Amino acid sequence: MRKEVRQIQQMLEEQVYIADAAVATALYLSMALGKPLLIEGPAGVGKTEIAKALAIALGTKLIRLQCYEGLDATTALYEWNYPKQLLHLKLAESSAASEAEKEAAIFGEAFLLKRPLLQAITERERAPVLLIDEIDRSDEEFEAFLLEVLSDYQVTIPEIGTIRATHRPHVVLTSNRSRDLSDALRRRCLYHWIDYPSLEKELEIVRAKIPAIGTELSRRLTGVIQTTRTMGLSKIPGVAETLDWANALVALNATELNDEIMAETLGCFLKDETDVATFKAQMTGSESV
Amino acid sequence: MKIENLVTFCRALRERGLSVTPAEVVTAASVLQVIDTSDRDEVFFSLRSILTTSVDDFPAFEELFETLWSQSPRKLVERESFSNTPLRPRTVSHTRGLAFFLEHWAPSHRADTRPVNVPGAGEHESHAQKDFSEFSHEELEEISRLARRIVKRLASKPSRRWQPVTRGHRVNLRRSLRLSLKTGGELIDLAYKRRRPKRTKLVVICDVSGSMDLYSRLLLQFVYGLQNSFAKVESFVFATSLSRITGELKNKTYRRALDRLSANVQGWSGGTRIGASLASFNVQWLRRIDRRTVVIILSDGWDTGEPEQLAKALSQLKDRAGRLVWLNPLLGTSAYQPLTRGMQVALPFINVFAPAHDLASLRALERHLVL
Repeated sequence: MRKEVRQIQQMLEEQVYIADAAVATALYLSMALGKPLLIEGPAGVGKTEIAKALAIALGTKLIRLQCYEGLDATTALYEWNYPKQLLHLKLAESSAASEAEKEAAIFGEAFLLKRPLLQAITERERAPVLLIDEIDRSDEEFEAFLLEVLSDYQVTIPEIGTIRATHRPHVVLTSNRSRDLSDALRRRCLYHWIDYPSLEKELEIVRAKIPAIGTELSRRLTGVIQTTRTMGLSKIPGVAETLDWANALVALNATELNDEIMAETLGCFLKDETDVATFKAQMTGSESV
Repeated sequence: MKIENLVTFCRALRERGLSVTPAEVVTAASVLQVIDTSDRDEVFFSLRSILTTSVDDFPAFEELFETLWSQSPRKLVERESFSNTPLRPRTVSHTRGLAFFLEHWAPSHRADTRPVNVPGAGEHESHAQKDFSEFSHEELEEISRLARRIVKRLASKPSRRWQPVTRGHRVNLRRSLRLSLKTGGELIDLAYKRRRPKRTKLVVICDVSGSMDLYSRLLLQFVYGLQNSFAKVESFVFATSLSRITGELKNKTYRRALDRLSANVQGWSGGTRIGASLASFNVQWLRRIDRRTVVIILSDGWDTGEPEQLAKALSQLKDRAGRLVWLNPLLGTSAYQPLTRGMQVALPFINVFAPAHDLASLRALERHLVL
């Protein structure tokens, strides 16, 4: 294994992110090739966490763009600060400046509100981590727009001109696969898929994140979660839910998983009424609990 | 690893249906310079992140990588030429003309396309009431009116995006400010914006096989009405294979459209192969479908093809489309249960399952189509 890959893995582990070789390799390549990394996987498996851990590990800023339907350039890229522009015009009313001069003044950088994409491009110190979260929730128009920004890391603002990236940001895109992304976007990115962790890995995550939990309890808890994922529920618990549950158990000073504690804390990882019913029926059916 | 081996590997991936572009091969080659090529996992993860674009590609990739790593990559490629390689939808560029379909249309061309005998056909007859030729001018007019009404509703929901307008409720600050420069910074003329109406696209795939004979003409009239009052409709017909009829339907009168259709598309009323037809639809058209598209399939669900193929095609469609509507004329008969194999595998993927045997049922369709 190349030492850079191992370094990344170690750096992430210091941020309590249990990274396997696949994630570390993907991140290394994304940095080495300067390509965005597209991470797909079910909800709650820690896709967003990767970007966060990466930013801390690299000691750089995390700039996050949360996607939603109807997201457009004014929320993602830049917007003019209208109240400030109006005030400025009012104050300059009595001045002798010509119309053109006034216009040039209010469409300067001082009146520009930088949204995440522009922030990421104009970051001065060092390359930030740009997290474009849940890209599948945005619409096709935005995807096309994003493609343009990601292909040459430059942005044109009619009033100011073209702004080029001072440092290429490390771009991480996440998707829950709620819709199919365009081929063009997929081709632009390196691809990584994160699935639910195996029992061993999940156990490792729980123990690393919540050291207060006992050995036996953490084993039982991850065991139950792993079984739950095979029940065909409508909302399958992710790692985030496992950690919530573990935290709840620690807070309640639980030392074992008995029926009473289970009933009290079920809501930590089951978020749907019919799922609760399915879970109870299957759990009483089997002898595992 | 030698570059030749990598290129052969990429070719093998293509043969397995992955679409690997030359640019990706170049990236993969340059990556081999910056990784530890003696570490199997590292090579595996690196190449996978570059050469695949979806988790669905993983099994094929893993399998071929195994071969690449363990033995001579020559064995990866079975065929020498690129022709006949079954590529996946996203990369297929060849277009099959109508001539192709006509050639393959007649049931005699294929052994597996014998016409299906529909049980209880007599019952349908009474429900369909009339063949298209018996429809009066008023009734045809009614169908067109209905289509126009549906179209009007389709374009009337506001989207999340804005557009500038001369009069409205929300002030467009950006424009207003520009305007104010003319008056020395005094906001006198205001510019406005409003929510852009949501544009829904329609894709209609109509079954014209033998078992649908009684309905298909009526439904085609409906499709014609939709298409001629709404620009974003793509229409297709299928029996044993698929044919795009958007162009044929673009005619001033339905009569002329029908003439052109029957001139170009002969021998409908053969057997049905829904799965294969939808699969070939996906090959060429899936990329054009997005979440603002409503896909309507008009069929009775009698399929002589493989149910697995139908399930796969429908699941691909469902993943991309805003809504998947299946209109089944048989649903209008009281005793009907969707028990055919085709219908059974299709049901889990369908958002709306509704009847379409008469005008009343088409009218009820209106509310299903608005996203």
